[in-house]
Amino acid sequence: MSKLRVGIASFAHVHAAGYATFLRDRADVELVASDPDAATAPPDELRGAELACQLGIRMVPSYEAMFAEGLDAVVVCTESARHREVVEQAAAAGVHVLCEKPLATKLDDAAAMLRACAQAEVILMVAYPVRFHPGYHAMRGAVQRGELGRLLAITGTNNGQAPLNARRWFFDPEMAGGGALMDHTVHLADLLDNLLGVSPTQVYAQVNRVVHAEEVPVETGGLVVMTYADGTVATIDCSWSAPDSYPSWGGLTLTLDGDLGSSRLDAFAENIEVFDDHVGGLRWDAVGVNLDSLMLDEFLACVRAGSAAQPDGAVGYRTLQVVLAAYESASSGQPVTIDEPISQAAR
Amino acid sequence: MTQSPPRLTVGVVGAGGIAHPHMAAWRHLGVDVLVYSDEGAEAAATQYGARAVADLDQLLEECDVVDVCTPTFTHHEIVLAAASAGRHVICEKPLSHLREEAVEMIDACAAAGVQLHPGHVVRYFPEYTAAKAVVAAGRIGAPAVLRLTRRGARPQRTWFAESAKSGGILIDQMIHDFDFARWVAGDVVQVYATEVGSAPGPTIGIAVLTHKSGALTHLLGGWGHEEEAFRTTLSIAGAHGLIRHSSLDAESLSWSIPGADPAHGELIPAGPLGSSPFVTELAEFLASCAGGPTPRVTAEDSLAALTMAIAATRSNATGLPVRLEDGAL
Repeated sequence: MSKLRVGIASFAHVHAAGYATFLRDRADVELVASDPDAATAPPDELRGAELACQLGIRMVPSYEAMFAEGLDAVVVCTESARHREVVEQAAAAGVHVLCEKPLATKLDDAAAMLRACAQAEVILMVAYPVRFHPGYHAMRGAVQRGELGRLLAITGTNNGQAPLNARRWFFDPEMAGGGALMDHTVHLADLLDNLLGVSPTQVYAQVNRVVHAEEVPVETGGLVVMTYADGTVATIDCSWSAPDSYPSWGGLTLTLDGDLGSSRLDAFAENIEVFDDHVGGLRWDAVGVNLDSLMLDEFLACVRAGSAAQPDGAVGYRTLQVVLAAYESASSGQPVTIDEPISQAAR
Repeated sequence: MTQSPPRLTVGVVGAGGIAHPHMAAWRHLGVDVLVYSDEGAEAAATQYGARAVADLDQLLEECDVVDVCTPTFTHHEIVLAAASAGRHVICEKPLSHLREEAVEMIDACAAAGVQLHPGHVVRYFPEYTAAKAVVAAGRIGAPAVLRLTRRGARPQRTWFAESAKSGGILIDQMIHDFDFARWVAGDVVQVYATEVGSAPGPTIGIAVLTHKSGALTHLLGGWGHEEEAFRTTLSIAGAHGLIRHSSLDAESLSWSIPGADPAHGELIPAGPLGSSPFVTELAEFLASCAGGPTPRVTAEDSLAALTMAIAATRSNATGLPVRLEDGAL
């Protein structure tokens, strides 16, 4: 089997090093990376050639040089606002794309990325790793078999620590498109989209900046309520509310209440508790499956087969729609109606 | 010579679900108890060492403090009668499902010079008291995002499910957490809520509160199938820390008896072993009636919680958030 030539575009995202490590260790992948915007990051953030050297992967100076090598696939880990530019380059070079979430910070950018990849007939997959959780698969199966009955209420939490000491651009409204609401709503919005098969008709949201109020200019707390045409109501807590002393970087839960039964997923429950005096207390060391590796496995398999990959760009678009509606609601204080024809166009 | 406090007689009105933990608590506190009820008064009197009386007038005549444990829609009439008889009043939550009635009850007690204590027992559960104290001591910084859930079996008495009599889950059950959220994070300026499902299936209420301080609260209340175990969770994320509690995780004693789980179908939570929040609550109210300090929850707090809960029902009806100005609709 020939090796897949895979590129990593930028080390801006906190997940880039993890993806790079996984791809580096795969025997069927030849990896190259480029991080041309590394100099724009604060000097204390490990980026560019220094990180590539530490990871032991080959660097090229520009995305142009990377795509000129004839890549099969690229993993886009730039700042969110810079996704479009790289994805359009990749599409023009006929390279399949796995793009970090959110797909973009503006719907225009997301639509342009979908168009470019569709026209070039390349995969556009969005990095929603929780979609690959075995527990989520079991939950979705039970819902589809009707075991929970009609779903009444769905409550999701995606709470974690703000990546203050890792990547400052997450708190730059231009680069990230916002704060916790943009960063954390989309994972659960993706699961809801996949679980229910429809977009919400109405979105209500409230945000605040109590946690890290002095340190960042963006919202760090947020609650989103999504209402569906059949009356189902879903809520997402997107807050960066895990304190510094929390035993893990974060977590995600999804609770379903149907008229016949309930189900709860705690995506990061599989861990061992470690009381570690060196770090001053309890740590939860994950022992569950590595969701990033399951997601990359799926991406690479689809690249080899030339088949469509899920979660795709369209769900990336629809989840961005939800988040942008949530921002509009948080700003106006009123619920916002999601324009169904637009979401259907992207479905 | 120290004088022992005057021995007060408590008159319990009603002998249904909530009257039982109240009467058990009164017995524990060594109080003389009278009970009047349309049904079940004799049995309750026997069970808790109380004396059943024939009518409300006799109860009001012979007691010092009236403890109203009847269905919500009857509170107003009984509390007004107690006030006009010059008796202090303890009244189960909600004071009423109607704001005008609650205001009238508060005004009538004030005019009669008697105390009115609302039974927001959640403030007396040790885990909730402790969480409030941790926030008040500044240990987690300013509250940012609160999450409170309260679930259990659907109450068997059908009036609970009739909005015209109980206010439904958003008022009857979730008022506990509306009150607790306000106790911890202060007054609320906007309420958005929805209620889904109906009897005999589960009913779930969800509310998002925006506090004046900027804090946000997510509330979920559930009335489920008859075997559903009662359970609560609380999570308070602050600027510098996090408090969490789950009633199911914090039990010092658990059971595994196939076919006979003692917790199933239980409506009124027990709280930590060796304590009764009802004893703590009623002792505080009784001490106040005997001239002691003001309890941790007042009738005004209860009215504020009711106002939030009524705002929630309006939001559910319209699909729109409801603004509260200075805590009022």
